[in-house]
Amino acid sequence: MPSGLQNLDYAAFVVLFCIGLYMVLARSNLVKKLLGLNIMETAVFAFIVTSGMVDDGTAPILGNGVAGPFASPLPHALILTGIVVAVSITALALALIVEIHRQCGTIEADELKGAE
Amino acid sequence: MALAIAAAAVPMLAGVMALPRPGDPAAPVHARVAAHVVAHGAEETGAENLVTAVLLAYRGYDTFGEVTVMFAALAAVMTVLAPRPRERSPEPADGVAISPVVVFVIRLLAPFIAAFAVLVVLRGNVSPGGGFQGGVMLGALLVLLSVVTGRGNERPLLEPRLASWLQAAGPLTFTLVALLGFATAGAVLALPADPAWARGAMLLALELGIGVGTAAIILGLFLQMRGW
Amino acid sequence: MSEFFDLVMLALLIGMALAVARTRDLLAAVILFSGYSLVMCLLWQHRGAPDVAMTEAAVGAGVTTILFLLAIGRTGRRER
Repeated sequence: MPSGLQNLDYAAFVVLFCIGLYMVLARSNLVKKLLGLNIMETAVFAFIVTSGMVDDGTAPILGNGVAGPFASPLPHALILTGIVVAVSITALALALIVEIHRQCGTIEADELKGAE
Repeated sequence: MALAIAAAAVPMLAGVMALPRPGDPAAPVHARVAAHVVAHGAEETGAENLVTAVLLAYRGYDTFGEVTVMFAALAAVMTVLAPRPRERSPEPADGVAISPVVVFVIRLLAPFIAAFAVLVVLRGNVSPGGGFQGGVMLGALLVLLSVVTGRGNERPLLEPRLASWLQAAGPLTFTLVALLGFATAGAVLALPADPAWARGAMLLALELGIGVGTAAIILGLFLQMRGW
Repeated sequence: MSEFFDLVMLALLIGMALAVARTRDLLAAVILFSGYSLVMCLLWQHRGAPDVAMTEAAVGAGVTTILFLLAIGRTGRRER
């Protein structure tokens, strides 16, 4: 069982995830909720990229004469797709927020709950 | 509230503490598929950038899904923000006039940014980068130029029908390469091993398709949200 | 030395995330989020992931910030 101090990075990402979760659950402004969702997403991406790292490893790009342990390229490809999907989600959510403001005049979830 | 977050955080922390140390070369994440990709990736796919090799060759279907998701997001944004038939389009907010220094600097830098973005797209095989990174840079440059030259939805930088085709360039290129792969190598999205130039050409076509598609989609998203 | 850099980066990330959670001004929150995205990009570059770092820099500090600014320009700057 590795000592706790070595997994400090992972613990920091869990803390970031919980900060994002707090923003999604506790704030009533929709833009704040979306920011919290983005923080949660980047915390998860950071966790997965960190899990693919190797001690003294270099980027997984073979040049001429680049040797040595490489960081694993699979998490990087996974996270690239994940970042693209996160951007798409953010764009669509922002479009919906703008439309909600146009229709209901407010973007606070507490006021929206009583709206209809 | 605090109880809910604590209930979420405590199992995550416990699980995360039990993982192998980050950076451990003997961790299971490096064991099977990653070891094969690192050892044989360059000769099997012809791409020295192993992340591009994984994205376009080993996991090509996921990238196909990714470009389709981006295109679908743009289509959904266009649907949500479409003006109602009886409403006028939303009035653009009065903004601060752009200072001529900013205009001059952006016009000076634009060719260099465009050249760098195209370089990143085309050299995705051998250096860090690839279709998506260059595409986002090109898209951001188009957004900057739209703001600086003041052309919004009236005379946009890309005329609408051309813009629609360019936005669909990502999924269209993937479909084309998938069919080509089926015709030449017997499986959908396969890369033919025999003529090395054919393999390189298909990878390049995929990179260009992703790059151009992403740039057009980002410009489209900006114009939709701006609502001119 | 490298661990010190890591600790500083992680502390900055957590500090910026807390600041985004607490501020009531949405413009400040969006700009802080853009800075958070930049620090995340530096962290990934330090972990040997230049592709992911380039993507996060272009997307987080570029596209996401632009879209957020357009949205709060239309809906209102302060959170009630």
